[in-house]
Amino acid sequence: MANRRVLVKRRKAVRNIRKITRTMQLIATARFQATQNRATATKPYSDKLGELVADLSKAAGDTQHPLMQQPDAARSALVVISSNRGLCGGYNTNVLRKATAHIDAHGDDHKVDVHMIGKKGASFFRFLGRELDREILDLADDPRFDEIEPIANELIQQFVNGEISSVHVAFMSFESAGRQYPTVMQLLPLQQQEADGEEAPASTGEIEFSPEPEQLLDALLPASVRMRLFQCFMEAVVSEHVARMVAMKAATDAAGDMIKSITREYNRARQTHITMELLDIIGGVNALEG
Amino acid sequence: MANNIGKITQVIGSTLDAQFAEDQLPAIYNALKVEVTQEVSGEKVTETLWCEVAQHLGGGRVRAVSLGSTDGLQRGSDIVDTGAPVSVPVGDEVLGRVFNMVGEPIDGRGAVSATQTRSIHREPPKLDKLSSKTEIFETGIKVVDLLCPLVRGGKAGLFGGAGVGKTVIIQELIARLARFHSGYSCFAGVGERTREGNDLWLEMQEAKIGDTGKSVLDQTVMVFGQMNEPPGARLRVALSALTMAEHFRDSTGADTLLFVDNIFRFSQAGSEVSALLGRMPSAVGYQPTLATEMGELQERVTSTDAGAVTSIQAIYVPADDYTDPAPATAFAHLDSTVNLERSIAEKGIYPAVDPLASSSRVLAPEYIGERHYQVARRVQQILQKYKDLQDIIAILGVEELSEEDKLTVARARKIERFLSQPFYVAEQFTGFAGNYCSREDTIRSFEELCDGKWDHLPEDAFMYVGAIEEAAEKAKKLAA
Repeated sequence: MANRRVLVKRRKAVRNIRKITRTMQLIATARFQATQNRATATKPYSDKLGELVADLSKAAGDTQHPLMQQPDAARSALVVISSNRGLCGGYNTNVLRKATAHIDAHGDDHKVDVHMIGKKGASFFRFLGRELDREILDLADDPRFDEIEPIANELIQQFVNGEISSVHVAFMSFESAGRQYPTVMQLLPLQQQEADGEEAPASTGEIEFSPEPEQLLDALLPASVRMRLFQCFMEAVVSEHVARMVAMKAATDAAGDMIKSITREYNRARQTHITMELLDIIGGVNALEG
Repeated sequence: MANNIGKITQVIGSTLDAQFAEDQLPAIYNALKVEVTQEVSGEKVTETLWCEVAQHLGGGRVRAVSLGSTDGLQRGSDIVDTGAPVSVPVGDEVLGRVFNMVGEPIDGRGAVSATQTRSIHREPPKLDKLSSKTEIFETGIKVVDLLCPLVRGGKAGLFGGAGVGKTVIIQELIARLARFHSGYSCFAGVGERTREGNDLWLEMQEAKIGDTGKSVLDQTVMVFGQMNEPPGARLRVALSALTMAEHFRDSTGADTLLFVDNIFRFSQAGSEVSALLGRMPSAVGYQPTLATEMGELQERVTSTDAGAVTSIQAIYVPADDYTDPAPATAFAHLDSTVNLERSIAEKGIYPAVDPLASSSRVLAPEYIGERHYQVARRVQQILQKYKDLQDIIAILGVEELSEEDKLTVARARKIERFLSQPFYVAEQFTGFAGNYCSREDTIRSFEELCDGKWDHLPEDAFMYVGAIEEAAEKAKKLAA
């Protein structure tokens, strides 16, 4: 029979793991709520900004802003948002798979600059032997706008200079607590008709521009890009916490099941041992008497 | 001595006591004969019952183990000392025949006209007569050739709990080895199902050796003492078969194969009579002489200068507990141990050989070569790593593993499946034709698998194929 001491040790180990995973689950739940509140708090602002940009660009007629045009370059940029910490189920794997698929979709003559956020993604790319153009590992778990801004500005600059033909963001998009999916979103060039803009009432009538629409767009469009990038980060963080919550819940349950089965095995081994000893004693006694 | 007649004084189960004249006490192991007359449906039938002296009780009394049923024995009946141990016919005449443990043919083909007989109790060969060469015995079974290669002239044990496929593997080995084997084969059926013995006999009649057109049975002798027989018979049947094999080894010098299914029953029979002989039971109720009995049997199964006896033994493991004294005692005697594991059989992977627990004395670079050794160790390392990670996977899921570990797990799962192989004797169950994979192919396949050359194939492609190229073909078929 299986060694009972080994079983006891294993059970202890699994119990400790369960303790940890349960704690992590609780922490993830708390953080999820906090980050979700933050994400929803910025939502009205970014929605409104999107609406405004859509309205303006429509009203401005066929103004061709550089951020809306695709420069002809054999390079593009991809921002990949992964997490710094593991134990969050398939969160990183899914995002990274989407990202690598996006990179591979481009031919060999097109280079994709990878801006990797988070340790997990960086180590994954290093394992695959893929190139990383930039690693940003120090973005805290709750990213602040002034941390994102420089990244956005730099990308905008490269894009306007015509060095890169597009900017995409690969991240885990958050729809609801029960649904997140990995997405590759196009950040630049800005799409002319945004989903939000379409529904937004264009009935605000005539807009009078002051100063000129070009000048306004010059200020508004980059702001919108920055905001959208920031929003991606926010969603990614929320998704990460949800993923961790779910993963840790599953792990806690699995550990519980395992403890149960080890306990059963242990009890059986113990009983077998007792029975065997009894048999030996009784057999010996009988042999001596008979 | 022939007229040394005693009287039965007591019958206890399958043992009996007899009184002889004090100066004519039969020696230990001497065969005793009793004529038993019984009424069977109105007719009087007389049968000879053989017994074997096991103990001297003092005062001219002996205690003997009956080698047949003791039904109908009467106290006071005459019992004759034959003056010698049980002996069985040996030589070419026994080939193609089926015997019981006392050497009587039971295949209904009449008497055996053997000129020679041999006592079933013999000394093991002397130390200086033992052969010292070591050579690999290729079976064409991937997992066996790779991880627990058999030794020509050595002993191999197939360990396994109930219903994990010991008998199937031993029959497969008979089909593979006896078919391409030029020497003789002996099969001992010890305490297993009679039906299996019958199947084997019929199969052997049909199977042909190589392309000679001769049936395998013509080069084979079978001895059966199956589970319906009393413990005395099961205790000695292995010796009878062994004696015949020894004769082939000593007189012809040909390579001889000895198959035993199942050695555990030998220990079990010993324990059944042990208490009746008045011995105090030892650990787990086994006889205190367990190791001695096993040693006496196993030490005779050896290769000498004269010839080689390669033996393959199935060993039942009660309740899957390898620490049980009976399998544990057999363990030490073997050159190569093939452990069958229930959890692998449950995954549907046959042969259900446990790649981590099975091993062989010759799994060392000086015997099998550096390349084979390295590949075998790498395979074991990958599987061991997978086993270590299993708890983590069970709790946290495969996603939490590092990329290297994920790759290891993927390869381990493929290796696990690739260790399965279709069997000749299991064709009607699996639906796959039997497959022989040469050692060279086996090593190359696993080497490439460890190197990651076949990472792109789906896991299912590795089930029940031979060399690795067949897996690639199967993958194509699966994809289609």
